[in-house]
Amino acid sequence: MRNAYKYTYIFLILTVILSSCVDQKKFENIGTHEKPNVEFAPNMYHSLAYEPLTQITDTEAGLWLNSNDSDTGEFFNSNPYNPHKMNMRDPAAHTVRFNSDGFLPYRLPKDCLDYAARTLVNPLKINDKTIEDGKILYTKFCAHCHGETGQGDGPVNDAFKGVANLTTGSVKDATPGHIFHVITWGKGRMGAHGSQLNQEERWKIVSYVKENLQKAEAQQ
Amino acid sequence: MSLTNTINRSAITLLLLFLSLFVSLPSNGEDKPAAGAAGADPAKVAEGAKLFEANCKACHAVHDVVVGPALKDVNKRRPIGWIVNFVHNSQKVIASGDPYAVELYNKFGKTEMKSFPELSEDQIKSIVAYIVDEGGKKVDVGPKPPVDGQPQSEAKDEGGYSGIILILIIIVLVLVLVMLVVFLSVLKRYLKDKEEKLAESDREIVNQKFDVLKVIKSKGFLSIVGIIFVSLALRACWNNMFYVGVDQGYAPIQPIPFSHKLHAGQYKIDCNYCHTGVTKGKQANIPSLNICMNCHSQIKSGPRFGQDGIAKVIDAYNSNKPVKWVRVHNLPDLAYFNHAQHVKVGGIECKTCHGQIDTMEVVRQHSPLTMGWCINCHRETAVNGKDNAYYDKLLELHSKKGPLKVAENGGLECAKCHY
Repeated sequence: MRNAYKYTYIFLILTVILSSCVDQKKFENIGTHEKPNVEFAPNMYHSLAYEPLTQITDTEAGLWLNSNDSDTGEFFNSNPYNPHKMNMRDPAAHTVRFNSDGFLPYRLPKDCLDYAARTLVNPLKINDKTIEDGKILYTKFCAHCHGETGQGDGPVNDAFKGVANLTTGSVKDATPGHIFHVITWGKGRMGAHGSQLNQEERWKIVSYVKENLQKAEAQQ
Repeated sequence: MSLTNTINRSAITLLLLFLSLFVSLPSNGEDKPAAGAAGADPAKVAEGAKLFEANCKACHAVHDVVVGPALKDVNKRRPIGWIVNFVHNSQKVIASGDPYAVELYNKFGKTEMKSFPELSEDQIKSIVAYIVDEGGKKVDVGPKPPVDGQPQSEAKDEGGYSGIILILIIIVLVLVLVMLVVFLSVLKRYLKDKEEKLAESDREIVNQKFDVLKVIKSKGFLSIVGIIFVSLALRACWNNMFYVGVDQGYAPIQPIPFSHKLHAGQYKIDCNYCHTGVTKGKQANIPSLNICMNCHSQIKSGPRFGQDGIAKVIDAYNSNKPVKWVRVHNLPDLAYFNHAQHVKVGGIECKTCHGQIDTMEVVRQHSPLTMGWCINCHRETAVNGKDNAYYDKLLELHSKKGPLKVAENGGLECAKCHY
C-alpha cells in the first residue's frame, strides 16, 4: 500500500513538471493547418438559422448530435428551395427597400448615359464633410485604378491598361450625372460599381471628383 | 531535429542562391532597352509622351490592344496626314468611306473614337514621335518569375547557433561514455588477474554478469517507465486541450487560388473594395463574382497560374454558379460579432485582427479568436469618440481618469456578445 502512495506522488510531481514546460507563446507559433481543429461544443457553434456566409449543404452533417426534431443533421443550414441551396436571395422584383437615406432605386439603364448626363443633379449639399467622405470612398474604391490624384495612374493600371485620366479631356468636362451613371453601370472597360456603393456614396465620390480632383488640376 | 533543420536551411539557401543566379544572368543582358528610333528629337518625344498620357492612354497602349488598337508602327501603317485627320474627327473619316477606317471601326465593335480637334498638327506629330520611340523599345516578356516565393521569413537566426551547441554537447557526451566503458573493461581485466587475493564478496562483484532481462523485468524499472509514459501522454492531452475550438493558423485550400498578396499587396486594392459589408453590417462579405469581373472582364491571365486560375472565375460568372469559398474565420454561433461596429464606429484597422493579409498568398487565421483575446483588446483599447457626437458627454465625464476603455463602457458585459 505504501508503495502505491509513493508512486502516486512521484507520478503527480512528474506530471506537474512536464506540464509546466508548455510554451507560453505557443498560440503565436501554431503552424498553418488546412483542416479545422476539433470543436468544443459543436451544437453551440453552428447556427441553426440561415447564415449568409456559412452554408452547409450536406443534410447528414451533424446527425450524430441532433438536438432538434428535424430529419436533417444539426449543422445543415441551407435553404433547399433556393437555387444552389443558397441562403441569400435578391429582393423580390419590383419592391423598394424602405430606408432612411431618402433614395429610391436608380432606374436608368446602362444605355441612358446621355440622358443621365443631361438630367441628373447631385442631391447632396457640397460641404467639407461631403468632400471628405468622398475622398475616403474615392481612395477605397477608385484610387487603385484611377490613381490618388485621378491621373489614371493607379497600380492596377499596370495590368488593366486603358484607365481614364479623370483630370483631362472629356472626363474633365463631364457633368456630375455622367460620372454618377458611369460609376453605377461602368463604361468602356470599366465595370459597374453600383452593387458596391449605394447612391449616397456614389454622389459623394462624384462631389469629390468634381470639386477637388478636377479643380485641383485646373489651378495648377 | 535541429540537425535536420540546419541541413534543410542550408539546402534552401543554396537553392535560392542557385535560383537567383539563374534569374539574374539573362536579365543582365536584356534589360538595356534598344535605342529609340534614330534621329528622334528628345524634346518632341517628351512632349508627345505628355500628350499621350493626358489624351490617349485611356484607350490606347503602344504595344497592347486595349480599347483601341496597339499604336506601335502606326506611322508605317498610315500616312501622317490620315492620322491627323482621324484624330481630329474620326467619325468624319469613317463617314467619308475610307476603307481602312471603316474596317477598323467594325473590327473594334463600332466603338467611336473621341475627336480631339484641340490638338494641333504639330502636337499629333510629337505624339507619333513618342509612339515611334516607345515602339522601338523592347517589351518586358511576361510577368517576372516569383523569386521571393519561398516563405523564408519564419526561419529564426538563433536556431542554427543553438543547433551547433547541441551537436557539440552530444559529441562530448558520447566521447565521455566511450572513455568510461574503456576504463571499466581495463579495471575489470586488472582485477580478474588478482582474483585469488580478493575477498568472497568482492569476487562476486567482479564476476557479476549484467542481466538485461532481469533489469527490464524488475518492478522499479517497469514503474519508472510506466510513470514517464503516462506523464508524457497526459502532457500531450493537456497541451492539445488548448487547441480545442481554437483555429489560429487555419488556412484552407480555396476552390480558386486567389492571392491576397497580389490583389491587396501589389495592386493595393483596398479591402473595402471587395468586402463591401465591412462598414455597413455584421459580415464583411465575400465578394460576389460581378465584383471580380470588374477587372477580370479585361485581365484574363495571372502571374502564377496563367489563364487557368482566372478562367475558373470567368466560367463561374458565365454559368451563373456561385463559387464555394471555404470560410476561414468561423466565430462560434454563441458569440455575436459585428464588423461595422468595430471598423466604422471603432475605427479598428483590418490588420489589427486579420494580420498582414496583404502579404498572404493563402489567407491564414491570424488571431486566436478566443474570448480571452476579445476581452483583452476591450480592456486595452480606448473608446473612439472622434467625430462621434454620441460619445462627447460620456468621454468628457470620464476624461479625469484617463481615456475611457471599451471595458468601462460595457465591453465586458456577457450580454454584449452572448445573447
